Parts: sequence; C-alpha cells; structure tokens
Amino acid sequence: MDPPLTENKENVENGGGEDKKSEKDAKSPAGSRAGSAKSQRSQKSNGSQKGRIPSPIRSAKDNPAADMRNMRRIIAEDPEWSLATVPMLWELCIKHIVGNFEYNSKILDKLLPKHKTKVLEKISTDLPLKVTSNLVEDEGYWKRCCKARWAICDVSAYGNNWKRMYFERNLQDIIEHFVPENTDPEELDSTLPLSANFVKKLDIRQLLPPVKEAPKGFDDDVSDAGSEAGDGPETDHFDFGPVLQKLPLLEEFRVTYGVRDCGMNFDWNLFQFTARDCLLLSKCIAACKTLKVLCLHRSKVDDDRVRVLISHILDHPSLEELDLSHNIIGDRGARAVGKFINNHSQLKILNLCDNQIRAAGAQAIAHALTKNTTLHSLNLRLNRLGDEGGQAVCRSLMKNSTLKEINLSTNDMTEPTAAVLAQVVIQNTTIKSLDLSCNKLGADGGKQLQEGMEENNTITHMDLRFTQCGQESEFIINQILAKSQDRERESKEKNMNEVNSKK
Amino acid sequence: MSSSGEEEEVGPSVDSNDPEERIAARRLRIQRRHELARRAAMGEDPSAKKAVKEEISKSRIQIEQSRQRLTKLLQDGTELVTNIRVAGDMREGARRIEEEEARRQRKDKLEAENKGGTERFEEISKKWESALQKEIPQDLHEMLKQQQQRCNAMIDEKNKLISEFQQELKGKDEQYVKDLKKQAEEIDLMIERMEEQIKNLTKAYREELNQIEKAFVTERTELLELQRKKWDHMMQQRRDKELEYMKAREKRVEDYEQQLQHLRVQDAEEYNSVKIKLETDVQLLEQQIQLMRATFQLNQEKLEYNFQVLKKRDEENTITKSQQKRKITRLQDVMNTLRIKLAKQEKQFRDENSQLTEDYKRITEQFMELQKKSRHFITTDNKKFTDIWIMNEAEAKELVEKVCEQDRTVTEHQLGLRWDQPDLEFMDNVGPILSEQTKRQQVSATQVVQEVMSQTGGVSDQPVADPVDRPYRPEPGEEEEGSEYHHGSMLKDPATKSEQGETVKSTITQKFSAHTIKKILELLCDESGFLVENKLVKLLAPLEQDEQSLMKLDAIFAALGVETEDDIYRLSNFFTKFRQATERAQSGQGSRKQSVEEVERQDGEPEKEGEEGTQTDEMAEDAEVAEELQKVMEDGEEVVTPRSVKSEVTELIHPNDVYKALRVFVEEQWQPTKEKSKQPQFKIANTEDRDDADDAAYWKKYCSILPEKTERMWDALLDGLEMYSDCLQSRAKLITETDGLRQQNAELRMLLHQYVNSKVNAELEIPPTRVLNLEFQQA
Repeated sequence: MDPPLTENKENVENGGGEDKKSEKDAKSPAGSRAGSAKSQRSQKSNGSQKGRIPSPIRSAKDNPAADMRNMRRIIAEDPEWSLATVPMLWELCIKHIVGNFEYNSKILDKLLPKHKTKVLEKISTDLPLKVTSNLVEDEGYWKRCCKARWAICDVSAYGNNWKRMYFERNLQDIIEHFVPENTDPEELDSTLPLSANFVKKLDIRQLLPPVKEAPKGFDDDVSDAGSEAGDGPETDHFDFGPVLQKLPLLEEFRVTYGVRDCGMNFDWNLFQFTARDCLLLSKCIAACKTLKVLCLHRSKVDDDRVRVLISHILDHPSLEELDLSHNIIGDRGARAVGKFINNHSQLKILNLCDNQIRAAGAQAIAHALTKNTTLHSLNLRLNRLGDEGGQAVCRSLMKNSTLKEINLSTNDMTEPTAAVLAQVVIQNTTIKSLDLSCNKLGADGGKQLQEGMEENNTITHMDLRFTQCGQESEFIINQILAKSQDRERESKEKNMNEVNSKK
Repeated sequence: MSSSGEEEEVGPSVDSNDPEERIAARRLRIQRRHELARRAAMGEDPSAKKAVKEEISKSRIQIEQSRQRLTKLLQDGTELVTNIRVAGDMREGARRIEEEEARRQRKDKLEAENKGGTERFEEISKKWESALQKEIPQDLHEMLKQQQQRCNAMIDEKNKLISEFQQELKGKDEQYVKDLKKQAEEIDLMIERMEEQIKNLTKAYREELNQIEKAFVTERTELLELQRKKWDHMMQQRRDKELEYMKAREKRVEDYEQQLQHLRVQDAEEYNSVKIKLETDVQLLEQQIQLMRATFQLNQEKLEYNFQVLKKRDEENTITKSQQKRKITRLQDVMNTLRIKLAKQEKQFRDENSQLTEDYKRITEQFMELQKKSRHFITTDNKKFTDIWIMNEAEAKELVEKVCEQDRTVTEHQLGLRWDQPDLEFMDNVGPILSEQTKRQQVSATQVVQEVMSQTGGVSDQPVADPVDRPYRPEPGEEEEGSEYHHGSMLKDPATKSEQGETVKSTITQKFSAHTIKKILELLCDESGFLVENKLVKLLAPLEQDEQSLMKLDAIFAALGVETEDDIYRLSNFFTKFRQATERAQSGQGSRKQSVEEVERQDGEPEKEGEEGTQTDEMAEDAEVAEELQKVMEDGEEVVTPRSVKSEVTELIHPNDVYKALRVFVEEQWQPTKEKSKQPQFKIANTEDRDDADDAAYWKKYCSILPEKTERMWDALLDGLEMYSDCLQSRAKLITETDGLRQQNAELRMLLHQYVNSKVNAELEIPPTRVLNLEFQQA
C-alpha cells in the first residue's frame, strides 16, 4: 500500500466528520468481503465513499485521484480482484431489511437461506418479543439476546436451547420484579402468550411483597417490623394462577416466597407465606396437569400450609418430584405428606430436608413408605426424628422395595436405630445410598452396622461421618462399600459389553 | 472438623497395599470370566488366549490403577468438601438440641417466675385488703411503703429476668453474627477446597492420562520389540538358509565343472580321431570329384548342343504357335458372330413357334367347336329329315288309302263295276330310303366273332355235335404234336389266305376265310390269356368252352382296342404279315437266336405286365405258363429249320410270335386310331350325301296310283253328280218354303184365338167380337 493513499484517506475521513459513521458502516461489509489486497480495500472504501456521499466539494477534490485509481483498478497480478467496490444490491437490501425489521418482519421467511442468516446475524437484540418470538427460530440470534442481557448464561440448564432460556429467564425476571398492586401487569400480559410455547421451567427465586407498609417498616426497629408484619395477612404475593394457566408446557416450577439481597432492609414482612398465597398457589398447581417438578423451599411453609397444599395436589397425575426443603413443617405436615406419598401420587423424589419433623411425623412417613411403590429418593436431612422416628423409618425400609436413596443425616438418632438399620441392611436389596452422618450411633451401633453390612452387597454409598461408630467398623464398612461399588461397576461394564456384543 | 477430615483421609490410605491385592484378584476374575466367555463363544484353546491376555493386560492394569487412584481421589475430595457441610449440619443439629434445651429451661424459668410473681402479686393484693382496714395513716403509710417495696422487689425481679433475657438475646445476636462469620468462613473454605479439588483432580486426571498413555506406549514399544525380534529371528533363519543353499549350489557348480572338463577331454580325443578319418575320406572324395567334374564337363557340352537345337525348335514352335493363335482368334471371331446369329435365329424361331402354336391352339379350339356344332346340326337335320319324311309319307299313305277307298266306292257303288286293288307294295316302306351298303357298314367285332364262331361251327370239318371238343383240341395239338399238326391244319387254306391277303388290301370287306379267322382267333384266345382278367376267368369257368372262348375274346378285344370288323381283319392280316416279315428277317441262325432272345425278353415283359394285371395270386398258372413257354422254346428250336424251308407258303403266325405280333399291332393300332378319330367325324359329315335318286321315283309312285282313265271317268261322274245335286237342292228349297208358310198360318191362328178369348174383351163396352160380328154383319 502506498502511503499517500492512506494519508489521503485519513484526510478524507477527518475532513468528512459528519459522514464518518455512515462511512464506517459502508466500510465494514466491504472490508469483510475484500479478499487480501490492501490497496483494493482502500480503493473500495474510497469508492463506497463516493457512492454513498456525493459531496460536491470532495468529489471535485478527489476527482483526479479517483481517476488515477480508476486507472489502477485493474491489477493484473491480483487474482481476487473484483468490481465489488460498490456494495451489492442485496447487501443494501439486507441492510435496509435489518434497519426496518421491526416494522416489516414478515419478509424474513421469503428470503434466501444465506440472506436470512445474514439478516439474523445483524438484527438488534432489543427488538420487541412480539416481533421475534414466533418468527425467529435461529439459535444464534437468541444466544446473542441472552448474552446481551445476562452475564452468566448456562444453557445446559435449559436443555441447550437458547430461545427457551431467553424466554424463561425473561418471564422469571418479570415475575421476580413484580410488585402486586403497583406494577403494571401489562408487560406480563403481553409477554405471557408469546412465551407460552417455549417455557418449560420456571424458577422464581424471589417474590416481592406489596409495598404499602414497606417504607414504614424500613424505618422501624427490626423486631418491631417483624411483629408488625406478622399480623398483616394482607401482604399477599404474586398470584400464579393466571400465569400457570397460560403456560401449557410447564414441567418444572420452583418458587420461594421471600426477597433476595434484602441486605439491611430486612423485614419479617418480606418473608411471609400467607394462607391466601398458599391457597392460590395450591389451586394453580392442582390445575397445572403437566407439572413434574414442584419446589417450594425457604418459604416458611408450616403444617397448615402444607396440609392445604397437599390436599390440593393429592392424586396429581404427573408430579414426580416434590421439594419442600428449608421450611418449618412439623408432625402434622409430615402426616399430610405421608398421606400424599401413600399411593396418592406418582412421586419419585421427595425432599423434606431441614424441617421440624419429629417422631410422630416420621412414623406417618414410615407407614406410607411401607405401601409406596414409586418413591426412589427420600431426603429427611436435618429433622428431629430421634430414635423413635428413625426406627420407624428403618423398619419401613425392610418392607419397601423401591427406595434407592435415603438421607437420614442429622436426625438425632442413636444406637437402637443402628441396630434396626443393621437388619435393614441385611434384608433390603434395593437401597444403594444411605446417609447416616451426624447421628450419634456410637461404637456398638457401628459394630452392629458393620456386621449387617458384611451380609450386604448392594449398598454402594454410606455416609458415616460424625457417627462415632469407631474407626475399625467404619473402615470395614468402607471396604465393603468399595467392593460393592466395584461389583456394580463390573456388572455395568458387563451389561455394556453385552449390549455392544449384541449390537 | 479438619482433624476428622484427616482421619477419614487417612482411613483409605491405610489400605494402600490392599488395592494391589484387589487388583490382582480382579484381574484374575476378569481373566477367568473372559476365558469362560470366549471358550463358550468360540471354543478356542485357552493357552493361546492366555498369552495374549497377559500381553494386553499391561495397559489395562494401568487403566485400572489410574481409575482406582482417581476414584479414591474423587471420593476423598468430595468427602473433604462435604465434610464442611456435614460439620455444619452437625453443629446445626447440636445447636437445635441446645436451643431446645435452652428454650425448655427458659420456659421453666418463666413459669417459675410466673408462679412466684403471681404468688407475690396475690400476697400484695391481699395486703391491699388489709391495708384498707388500716385506719391509722402511719400504719397505712408503713403498709404502703411495704407494698411499694414488695412491688419494687417484684418489678426488680421481673426486670432482672427481662435483662437476663435481653442479655441472652444479645448473646444470641453475637452468636448469630459469629455464626454468620463462621459460615462465611466455611463457605470460603468450601470454595477453596472445591477449587483445590478441581485443580487436583484435573492434575491427577492429566497425570493418569499421561501414565496410561505411557503404559500404552510402552506396551506398544514392547510389542514392537517383540515383533521386531521375531522378524529378526525369521530374517536370520532366512539368511542362514540362503547361505546354506548358496554353498550347496557352489558345490554343485564345481561338480558340474569337473564333469564338463572330463567330457571336454573325451570329446577332444574323439574329435581328433574322427577328424583324421574324415580327412582321408575327403581326399578320396576329392579325387572322385575330379573325375565327376570331367564327365560333367563332357555332358555339359553335349547338353549345350542339345539345348541349342531345342532352342531353335522352340523358336519355330513359337512361330507356328503364334500363327495358330492368330488363326484361332480369327475363327473365334467368326464363331462368335455365328453364335450371335444363331441365337438371334433361335430366338426368332422360338417366337414364331410360340406364335404358331398359339395360332394352332386357337384354330384347333375353333375347329373343335365347329365340329361340335356341325355334329349337332347334322344330327338335328337328320332327325328333322326323317321326321318330315315320315310325316309326308304318312300323309301320302293316308291320301292313297283314301283315294283307293273312294275309287272303290265309285267303281263299286256308282259304276257297279268290279274294283281291282292297285299295287301298293311300295307303301310298306317307312322312313327314308336307305341304300344297302350303308345298312351293312357297321358290324361290330363281337358280332363278327360270333358269326365266325358259329359259321366255322357249321362250316368246319369237325361235327357240330361236339363244339366243346373243337376249341379244346388245338391246344394239345399245339403242345403235344408240335408244329406238325399246326402246319397240317394250316396247310389247308394257304390259297384262300393268300387270296384274302390280297383282297384285304384292295377292299376291306373282302374277308379271310372264316376258318382262318377262327384259327387266328383261337390262337389269340389261347396265347393272350393274360389280357383277360382273373375274375372273368373264374366267372367263365362254369360256362361252355365255346362261350368261354367267346367271352375271353371279347375281353381281349376290349384290351387291344379292336372294335370293328375291320380291326379284326387287320389283326388277322397282321398275324399273317408278321409271319412273313419275321421269316424274311430270319436269314441266319444267329439272328434267329437273337430274335428268340428278343422274343424271350419280350415274353418276359408282357408276362410281367400280365402278372401285374392278374396279380400274383395264381402262382400255379404262372408256373404252368412258364413250363409251356419252355417247351415251346424247345419246340421252336427244333421247328426253325422246317419252317424256314416252307417260308414261301403263307402261314399262320407261330404261337411264340403272337406276343410280338400283338405288340406291333398295338403300336400300330394306336396310330391309326388317332387318324381314325379324325376320319369318323368327317365321315359323319359326309353321311349327308346319301343318294336321293330313288326318292323321286318313290314319291312318283304315290302320284301314279290312280291311272289316267279313272281320272277322266271321275271328272265325268263329277259333272253328272253335280247336276243331280242342283236339282235336289232346288226341291229341298221349295219344301222348306211351304213348311214355313204353314207354320206362319198356325201361329196367326193361335194369336187370333188368344185375342178373342181374353177377359179384357168382356170388360169392354163393345167387345171386339161384336165389332167383328158387326163388321161381319156390315160386311
């Protein structure tokens, strides 16, 4: 490239300040298309300038130079030289289409595939969903949308579908920032029908309460605010009824009645799961027949609320996973849950972690377990089963033949439970994973368990940390576990080989 | 917490020896299983497999080890990470229990306090009642003070409790803050551990991967080494073998060389001896060559001279040859022209011929048609002629009869004379008059035969009484007595025969003597039996001899095509003529013999024909015939001389020559028949000119049946009679006239009577009768 040319160009650019933007626009496609010759690029830029901005002064100035270039345009030794100094008509068209996409989006389907991709590469991510939702299927566009909106994008959590991710998260954001009686429902109403075909999962991590009293509450003392908020049943949250109705593909629904990142604005009122909330939620869940996963955690769900919920979702046709962790469910609530899993559901996974279930609730659940034939996984971590409840649950395990995983960690169980467990371990052949950590089983219990485990070869995972069951037995049990793990792995390999050989 | 984690970390590390044991055990198990599976699947020998297995297992061991280590690492890592959570759970659990306890204590305390407070309050309230009873102000004051003190004590107590609880709350708050801090720390630790874990794991995985790769590489190198060793070994073997082969080859080469040397020496010796011998031979041969050369030269000169001579001759020959050639060409030209001419001529002639044939065909067709027509017309004319004739004749006869009758009546009745019958003999004739010749002309052959037979029967010397014997006799006569008898019989009518022979030539009607003909016929009948059908012979068997021969002759004639009398005469003529001809031909014995042979040959042929005709059913007859023939032949031989002597006399043909004669006859017969076929048609045409000379006379006879005199008499009679008739007629007329008048009279009378007597008259005023009467009166 000859230096005078660049100079000239720079000069031109500097000179035509007001045209800079357009010039750049014109340059970028031309530059991308330009093969290798630098001189050519310069020519092109110049040409495009000329084509685009017919400024009389500059054209007069550049005329001799342009002539020169015109003369030099034919460069014999350049194999990739082309006449494309002026952007192609189709490029211009595409540009225009992109510019006016919002007003005339129907044209997209009529374009040739290559032009379509070009358009999709260029249209703005800020286009209203109304335009794009049903029209654009291209993953690339939705990826751009997601990336532009959120910093962290884990598409694997959304079935590797960017579009789904965008719509789900969009809806989540809207709901999470929805303040009842304050926010205009217009946005939600317009978004819902557009998202209906793409949303399968809804993970609501916070729900804002109505802001009536909130400003006052912030001024008061923390404890006072709590006491004040406690008696306010009118602080109902967002009603999911109309939303879930309009989502025919919803399979997973996670919700927390609480506020995230409240910081120093803490108010008990912010974490209130009212009876009306519970009733509305229960009703809409009962109405949503496609739901498979329901997660209602960290929401101060107490016995009464659980009973309401369970009474509504009893005999739900598709629900497979129920997560009620980190709530304050007591024995009555546990009894309700027990009824629910006692062949009134298709539940496979039940999580009651961090609740306040005691012996009575445990007995109810144990009774249900003896009759249940669907449950695979049960989590009762951080409850207060005690020996009595633990024994009940363990005895039920002797009769149950479907449960594969059970978590009984931190349940204040001691030696008598270990004795029963030893029997369970001998008899039961379906359980694979058993978590008993943080239960003071003691050395004797450990020994009993060890004896039981020596007869067993199906359990592959058993957590005995903080059980004080003695190093020796723990070690032996670990050995046995390793053996059964090996066996399982070998059998798996064998199956794989067989399958392969069959193939 | 960390100590416990270390403990748990140490736990698995204690059995660091164990994994190897486990690995060994597992390896064994795997091997066994694989072997079993393979044996079950393929039934291969396990020993070979084992070796392979061991070789393979190296990398596998490495993989297994790595896997083991990694799983351990993973387990430990997860344990390490989850330990924090578990510890937190543990603490939380403990805290909850503590909290519960504390709550319970607090509750107890509160209840106790409540109880004490209420008691004290009751006490105070009791005091208030007693205080009301007090009337002394000091007492009351004191009392009030006491009450105040008590209340204050109670309040203090309450306040103390409250402050206690507040203290506790503060503690809790601090605890909470601490817990939060601790949790943050733990979370940090957890994150740190996680990161560390990830780092470790990636590192470990990479290491293990490297190791596995290394193991694979080493295994590969080992394998390569092994293969190379094998390869080298094989190569070495090959080299050794090559060397061995080379040595063997060298040895062999040496052997062969020695042998070659030996052979060479031997051959040289041989060669020398042979050479000497050959040289001597050569010398001898050279001498001979010299000799030969000399002779050769001589010969050459001679030959050269000959050659010269021959050359000259050759030249002459060539000259003549060329001359001849020229001539040939010239002649060829002539020939060609002639040929062309010939071809042209031929073509012309052919065309002409075809044209002529076509013309001829057309003409013949026309002619045939014409003939047909003419025949038709002739027959019709004939018929017409006869019909007309007969009609006229009948008419004439009728007229004649009528005339005769009239004449008779006239003469007898009118004249009263005696009437003489005129001559009416010619009237017997019916149809056209025929000449006698034509009547006689066609006499069929059979008739002739019959005639002849019957004639001869009457005329012949033999008595008519035994006609059966007569034809019977000649046969044995022929066979037994030979030609003597035959000649004898023949001698009787030589004169007639010769005469007849001449007469036949002049006029065919002239006959042979019946006897001769009979003889000939008999001969024919006997000799040409083959012409008669077998069936006929069978049928004839019961008949009389004479009739038999008659029928036979009939059949024979039919076969020969003899139809008319004429034919018979010709045949007989032939027989006699043939005889003369043969006799003339038999100038010498040889020729005779030849002829005999010919005859024989000819005999054979007809016989064959006969056989074909009669079929081979009658072998016996054939045999007889053959015997007869032979006999005849022998006879013939004997007879020849006598016959030749009598050659001047016309004789009947010898039976042996019958065939020949017949043959010739038949051949000739066929030609005449053709000619004849034409002749009869013309003949028929000629039948028209029958002589009509008699016709006029015949018809005249009818005219002249009445004589002139009677005619004249008839005329006169006619005149007289006519006059008489006129007179009679006038009389008759008058009679009829009178009759008519009479009748009229009668009728008138009748009418008058009617009018007078009718009723109408009565009714009238004046009846007519009266009128009449008046009239009468007037009158």
